Amino acid sequence: MFRIKSLPLVVILSLPIISSAQNADSFTITGEVTTALDLKKSDLSGYKQISHKVKDRDNKEHEFKGVALFELLEKAGVSTGSKLRGENLAKYILIRAADGYEVVYALPEVDPEFTDQIIMLATEKDGQALPNGEGPFRIITPNDKKQARWIREVRSIKIQFAK
Amino acid sequence: MKREKGWPHSEFRKYIRGWYLACLFVSFFLFCGLISSSQKIETQPYELKYPANFGGRFTIPDDNPTTKEGVYLGRLLFYETKLSANNKLSCANCHQQNMAFTDGKALSEGVDRSLTDRSSMSLANLLWVRNFFWDGRSPSLEEQAVFPLTNEHEMGQSLNASVAKLRTTVLYPPLFQKAFGTDIISENLMIKAIAQFERTLISADSNYDKFLAGTYNLTAQEERGMALFMNAPNPEKMIRGANCEHCHGGQKTFKELFHNNGLDSAATDPGREKFTNQSSDRGRFRVPTLRNIALTAPYMHDGRFSSLEKVLDHYNEHIQQSPTLSSFLVNVSNKSGGKKLLLTKSEKMDIISFLHMLTDSAFINNPEFSNPHLTLKKP
Repeated sequence: MFRIKSLPLVVILSLPIISSAQNADSFTITGEVTTALDLKKSDLSGYKQISHKVKDRDNKEHEFKGVALFELLEKAGVSTGSKLRGENLAKYILIRAADGYEVVYALPEVDPEFTDQIIMLATEKDGQALPNGEGPFRIITPNDKKQARWIREVRSIKIQFAK
Repeated sequence: MKREKGWPHSEFRKYIRGWYLACLFVSFFLFCGLISSSQKIETQPYELKYPANFGGRFTIPDDNPTTKEGVYLGRLLFYETKLSANNKLSCANCHQQNMAFTDGKALSEGVDRSLTDRSSMSLANLLWVRNFFWDGRSPSLEEQAVFPLTNEHEMGQSLNASVAKLRTTVLYPPLFQKAFGTDIISENLMIKAIAQFERTLISADSNYDKFLAGTYNLTAQEERGMALFMNAPNPEKMIRGANCEHCHGGQKTFKELFHNNGLDSAATDPGREKFTNQSSDRGRFRVPTLRNIALTAPYMHDGRFSSLEKVLDHYNEHIQQSPTLSSFLVNVSNKSGGKKLLLTKSEKMDIISFLHMLTDSAFINNPEFSNPHLTLKKP
């Protein structure tokens, strides 16, 4: 009885929640950048699309599609390429997931002048959008044998100086 | 011609005299400043003691170093009922030391007799917390403290009114002088002192800590429970587990995470979504510390489970599906292809036995955390 009676109230109270839920998931690139970015999935179509066929935690091979993290960092004006020298080598990338999980990369790990590995911000797996709990944005680092830094549900990418 | 272009002699002397007086004034105020800053130096640093394996990932604001004087003042304020609108509630009403700074209730009653939206949280090892409250909306202890003090359903009094009450006391102005070098009580200093006290609430002396330090031997049941707590189930390799560690692990049995742990198929409380405005945060709440978990019933953000047995039953049998359910709770099973955890009753008891190892009786009996007003000599 209580449940039935209170149902309309719950619905009314939920209305603002339902309306706010229309905000598409996005992630930010901030910190030591010239232009802070707040990107939605639709914003990524303007970047070169790449793919990686790699084994995930389930030990099965999957094809991930997305964009190179490096391109996003360049767009934000992170010090890359010839500028990645001197004190800029003391910068790191702190990536945070929706659940608060955090991992760190050093800038040279992402920069093609230092490495052939292309770290990807993936949005698709095997032709499908990344599922809840994994997407909409996930980092794929092919040369990492352990997937602990293949951080899921990416919400923020922050470039910082080690202090 | 020369005189017209240059300074008249008397004017020049006046100018010099003006500068001289100005310098004198400035020197005087600089001197006063030096005196007041030297008063601040008289405070003694409070040494925060914790095991090395807790790690040093915490930040103490530069403008609020932890001092013995500040911590003592903060402790008095934590237990001060004058900080509530009806002079009956202090922070300690909802955060009682004997229950690891919870209140044993699902929801707590504020000055207006209404109930809080969420359950009172344990205050242990806050030094390592970076985003406070069940939804992580507050980035510092200093900022966090304002909410319960001023919220109309909690202590219900403006900071301004609290400051006014403290200023009329004999007790507090000299204590602010000792802690902050001024006896003029302000909102900012009051909050800073409370935050300082809260940083000292370190729980690091449970049987689990002693086990990690090599000074405690596990019982057979605790050992079984610890293995189940730590292991992810892997039926192919015959490894049974509950994978609690994935979110509650580490030496502190706390990781700063926010998950929807499957309490409801349609969340009635939006949780972290209200703060982030992202729909994938619907029904996400802080993964709380398991420190002293046996003392902090009832459980969950709304206190819906009265016992650890019910919490284990939830994770084992009653996870509710929803679009934002944590992926770490989906299809995790001790049976190949299973949908539920499928722990046996005795395995659940083993885990609970391990959870009791996290009780820190030194923490709940530490006289430095108790109500100082009870032993205070009345002037």
